[in-house]
Amino acid sequence: MKNSLCKVWLAFCATVLAALAAAVAAPQNAPEVVAVKTVLAADGVHPGKTLKVAALAHITPGYHINDHKPTLDYLIPTEWKLDSPSPLSVETVVYPKGELKKFAFSDRQLSVYEGDLTVGALLRVARDATPGAYTLKGKFSYQACNDHACLPPRSLPVTLTVNVVGRRTPLKTLNQDIFSRLEGLEPAGKNL
Amino acid sequence: MESESVKTYRVAFGALLAILLVVGLYFVNRYWIAPATQRHAAKATSGDRPMAPAFSLTDLNGRKINLADERGKVVLLDFWATWCGPCQLEIPGFVKLQERYRDQGLVVIGVSMDDSVEPVRDFYREFKMNYAVAMGDQRIGELYGGIIGLPTTFLIGRDGHIYAKHTGATDISVFEDEIKTLLAADANSGVAELRPVGGTRPQERIELGDPAEIDSEVPGVNLSKLNPQQVAMFKKQLETLHCDCGCKLTILRCRQIDRACNISRRVAREQLEKFLKPSV
Repeated sequence: MKNSLCKVWLAFCATVLAALAAAVAAPQNAPEVVAVKTVLAADGVHPGKTLKVAALAHITPGYHINDHKPTLDYLIPTEWKLDSPSPLSVETVVYPKGELKKFAFSDRQLSVYEGDLTVGALLRVARDATPGAYTLKGKFSYQACNDHACLPPRSLPVTLTVNVVGRRTPLKTLNQDIFSRLEGLEPAGKNL
Repeated sequence: MESESVKTYRVAFGALLAILLVVGLYFVNRYWIAPATQRHAAKATSGDRPMAPAFSLTDLNGRKINLADERGKVVLLDFWATWCGPCQLEIPGFVKLQERYRDQGLVVIGVSMDDSVEPVRDFYREFKMNYAVAMGDQRIGELYGGIIGLPTTFLIGRDGHIYAKHTGATDISVFEDEIKTLLAADANSGVAELRPVGGTRPQERIELGDPAEIDSEVPGVNLSKLNPQQVAMFKKQLETLHCDCGCKLTILRCRQIDRACNISRRVAREQLEKFLKPSV
């Protein structure tokens, strides 16, 4: 009993220390020019099935962030990374094509994202998953510039909670306006 | 032999001490060290003839760079990164300036804000950089007022004072004009006719171009069509708008502090057009 109490206490301490270390290390002055939120395609998912999720990023007007596959090697790509705790796994992450734009600082047109950006992901739930709420943690990394200057690379924490429900529980679809526009998220089997 | 409960309490006590230590360090940094550094930086980047904060770094070739050792020379101090397109645009120009004015006393120093040194070494070779490049960090950035946007370039005179700060890609001819003026100055007397960073006194300017724009209360914007009341109103209007260049300042303040900022200049000119429309 005491041993487990001690472990919980140590875990708590480690979390607090990590959070403080992150707070100290974070750049104090760089403005946040990207805001990210996550959405799900349904209010739950059955064991053995898939669920579409998406990260919606809003980029401050006047700024751009690089394509996931940047035009030039030295550019830092935009990336959405999600941990996949059992019984969930990330099957695929789909990025839109960037827009080719010419900037004063480059001879070539660069593929970038501006305005609103939707990155989709397909989650798969293990067949033997126990119903319950599962939280996925991840980060949305980007590096922003405007037409004459750049900001340091940033990583925003992104979390989403997925409800795994029993096979007989009916599901309600959500955010279809967003997911109907997303291509490349169809699983091999039956999709939601 | 220690009992289990004594062990548990020892671990808990140790962890508590560690937390208190980190919390303490966090608050010391946040409320004491960081503000003090920023006050020092603010002092260095505003007011008359600000001194360039001293620093010592090791360049990519293992040589020491001490800013104090460069006293008597003109220093172009460039904060940049390999992932920054606008920074890359400027670098061939800095290579040329270093080559052209080295004998007259120009020293170019590059401070890379990259996280790792490998891409910087590759870049150094690829761009045939002929000046010292060192790896920077948040501390040196804060020393120079917080390097928010890259590139940020400072021009330091022979007397060790900062005479210009440019945020964002700036035409190399602008640097060259300023460097020539600074090189012509004496190390002891400074450059009286140059505008110190943060100053807005028209008689101490470094800019070239239309005098109506240079001497304007909103630098870079010709306010000659406005009467004094309208100028005051227009300035108030610019105080309500925030500049998107990354400086976290209002458009008016950004114009006054960073005359090279193309974003605040464009917005201020657009606002002037709108401001003038009703009276046309």
